Amino acid sequence: MLSRVAANLYWFSRYLRRAENLARLVNVGSQLQLDLPRSARFAWRPLIETLGAADEFDRQHPAGGKQPDEAGVIRFLLVDPENPQSLHEVVRQARELQRSVRETLPQDCWVAINDLYLYIEASTDRAGSRRYRQEFLDRVIDSCLRVSALLTANVSRDIGFQFLRLGTAIEQADMTSRIIDTAAAGLIQPRIEDDAEAFREMQWMSVLQCLAAYQMYRRHLRQRVSAELALQFLLKDRQFPRSVLFCLTRIQGILPLMPARRPVQLALNRVLGSVFDADPARVLKTGPGAFMDRLQVELDALDGALRQSYFTG
Amino acid sequence: MDWTGYRSPTWDELIGHDGQPHTAARPLVDYLASLSRGELAERQLAADVTARVMGVTFTVYTEGRNVDRTLPFDLIPRVIARAEWDRTAAGLRQRIQALNLFIGDIYGAQKIVKDKVFPEFLLKDSVNFRPQCVGIRPPLDIWAHICGSDLVRDGDGTLYALEDNLRIPSGVSYMIENRMVSKRVFPELFETSAILPVDDYPAQLYDTLAALSPRPGDTPVIALLTPGIYNSAYFEHCYLAQSMGVELVEGGDLFVGDDDVCYMRTVYGPRRIDVIYRRVDDMFIDPEVFRPESLLGVPGLIRSWRAGNVALANAPGAGVADDKVVFAYVPKMIKYYLGEEAILPNVPSYLCHDDKERAYVLDHIEELVVKPANESGGYGMLIGPRASKTEHAQFRELIKANPRNYVAQPTLSLSTAPILGDHGPEPRHLDLRPFVLSRKDIYVTTGGLTRVAMKKDSLVVNSSQGGGAKDTWVVDTEEAS
Repeated sequence: MLSRVAANLYWFSRYLRRAENLARLVNVGSQLQLDLPRSARFAWRPLIETLGAADEFDRQHPAGGKQPDEAGVIRFLLVDPENPQSLHEVVRQARELQRSVRETLPQDCWVAINDLYLYIEASTDRAGSRRYRQEFLDRVIDSCLRVSALLTANVSRDIGFQFLRLGTAIEQADMTSRIIDTAAAGLIQPRIEDDAEAFREMQWMSVLQCLAAYQMYRRHLRQRVSAELALQFLLKDRQFPRSVLFCLTRIQGILPLMPARRPVQLALNRVLGSVFDADPARVLKTGPGAFMDRLQVELDALDGALRQSYFTG
Repeated sequence: MDWTGYRSPTWDELIGHDGQPHTAARPLVDYLASLSRGELAERQLAADVTARVMGVTFTVYTEGRNVDRTLPFDLIPRVIARAEWDRTAAGLRQRIQALNLFIGDIYGAQKIVKDKVFPEFLLKDSVNFRPQCVGIRPPLDIWAHICGSDLVRDGDGTLYALEDNLRIPSGVSYMIENRMVSKRVFPELFETSAILPVDDYPAQLYDTLAALSPRPGDTPVIALLTPGIYNSAYFEHCYLAQSMGVELVEGGDLFVGDDDVCYMRTVYGPRRIDVIYRRVDDMFIDPEVFRPESLLGVPGLIRSWRAGNVALANAPGAGVADDKVVFAYVPKMIKYYLGEEAILPNVPSYLCHDDKERAYVLDHIEELVVKPANESGGYGMLIGPRASKTEHAQFRELIKANPRNYVAQPTLSLSTAPILGDHGPEPRHLDLRPFVLSRKDIYVTTGGLTRVAMKKDSLVVNSSQGGGAKDTWVVDTEEAS
């Protein structure tokens, strides 16, 4: 397998998974907003920061200038081609990558991604409006899952497939940690400081919903949502496929199927160790921000090790 | 489909001047006659859908954007009788054999120049002559492993060679896909007629490439080098790589080590490459030797090739014979190298570097087709009878300024075949591009790619300029009767 093709497969599945999570995140944000009482409002800023789009956002909306309304923020996150992290751009990247590995992936996959891209292009004007947003986001999430399903159902389990799996796993671990980070930063800004505690639970519930984890959480923990248990579930659950630990364990299962490279194994061990050792209660106390930052740095290091070992040849 | 009233202004590939189909085309014509307009439209739709689903596209670069287009496909095949095809194939074999001897001679002893059969000055200012290749002897002494020759038929029914594409001829994937489409659309005809298959090409190409490996005995590692996804023929590159089971690589995937061996970068580490089917032009293939700014090539590739560590198909420099002026000398080459008369006639050419011929061209420009020696894709040419007075004058000046760069040919009355028009069959001009593979023996495709001008009266069949394609059937009439 060519290094370039392996890298493109890996990034293709990363972008695909990123697009899906992004749509989920925006979806939960808009849902949550509908539920909030007048005494609180939804804070989009942490979400923009989570997605690494703060620089572009500030460039477009310098502090002191006119700040966009909700529809403006949503458009920025979903369809703004200037924002390199927007859904539009993420899907475009996936599509470009798929073009360059067209000979390796099933034809249906190309058709599905192309469809999704054209749909997003055609929806630029109305994605901001509340009425269509739900429909739009649902369609995006469905399309992404459809491509994943096509890959799982129809691609031979050769080494290329392992790079697809690697990309999905590392992207989900990364997105989950970012989404936890967002929740910790506070998605809800109460007008009265004392109300903060009351909204805390609601926030974590939204985060669980965002990662399609709420139902599984209830089923497996049989308790109401608390910050500590939600964090425990999203970070360390061994069975929920979007938890950080689950994704990292998956990577551990993939590595033996690939040419052995020590730096990759070391980088994985480091981040796995951090997650194992993490005590949700303590992480919450000291503020999850710092811990999640560390996790992301370690995931980056793993990505770097993969690049060094497989993608540069 | 109603054939009454179908008349071609010239020779037609299916229907004779008397309105009766040629023998080889009769089953097809009769069959089409039995279909209603609705049934035909339905099949054309099925053909279009099949082509789109199979992803048959080429890329057009317009207004700063790349657009994937499907090549227009006309349902009605072009039919050639086997006996005629066998003769034509023999002519193609003879041509390519002489051309390979010519290229080898030009980069070697230059006997043909010393014997004054081919003028030296033509070589000196040929843009496709690569001095860097002088003295090199590629495996089997073959330079042009893959050749796509364009054939046209004149109003009297004679098939002529129009040009030989020895650099990076494209279109063979359409030939194969067109057949897949027409098999789906006309399965009945394939059951009852002896239509010779074309799908052997990828296997033949693989054998051609494998024969070049510098490590005979071991399974060769073969790659197809593409300029990348924005190239107009990227679809074909993918298609051929996939159907041969070889790697599809870009310049950045390859490097040449200090040992002058060419490697590709894989997830397992560097892996040696033996043969490269390059679909990147000579000038971009190695920035160390040719255009230094090229990002499409591989630094050191020519070094590795010269050392015999990697084989390149086609060999750099093969394009020296892919020149419309050199083309005019092919019958002389056949005589010189093989001692034979050309089986396949050349379209007569007037060479503008010759004073007498130039004078004729300047006088008769309104009747002639004038072509620059080294353009492809139908660009930069003048079709005398269709051009304005201003254009005539402009080309007269161009010719006077650079006579060696221009060739003129009589305007042939290009043959037609029916396409499925809105109101029944309509005649459209076409040509034929067979593909010829050279190794120890020479392989010629059965038929080739038929390119057809979809616009009424148009003579330009190039896909970049609104041309389409048809399936080409070589039909064994002996067997069928």
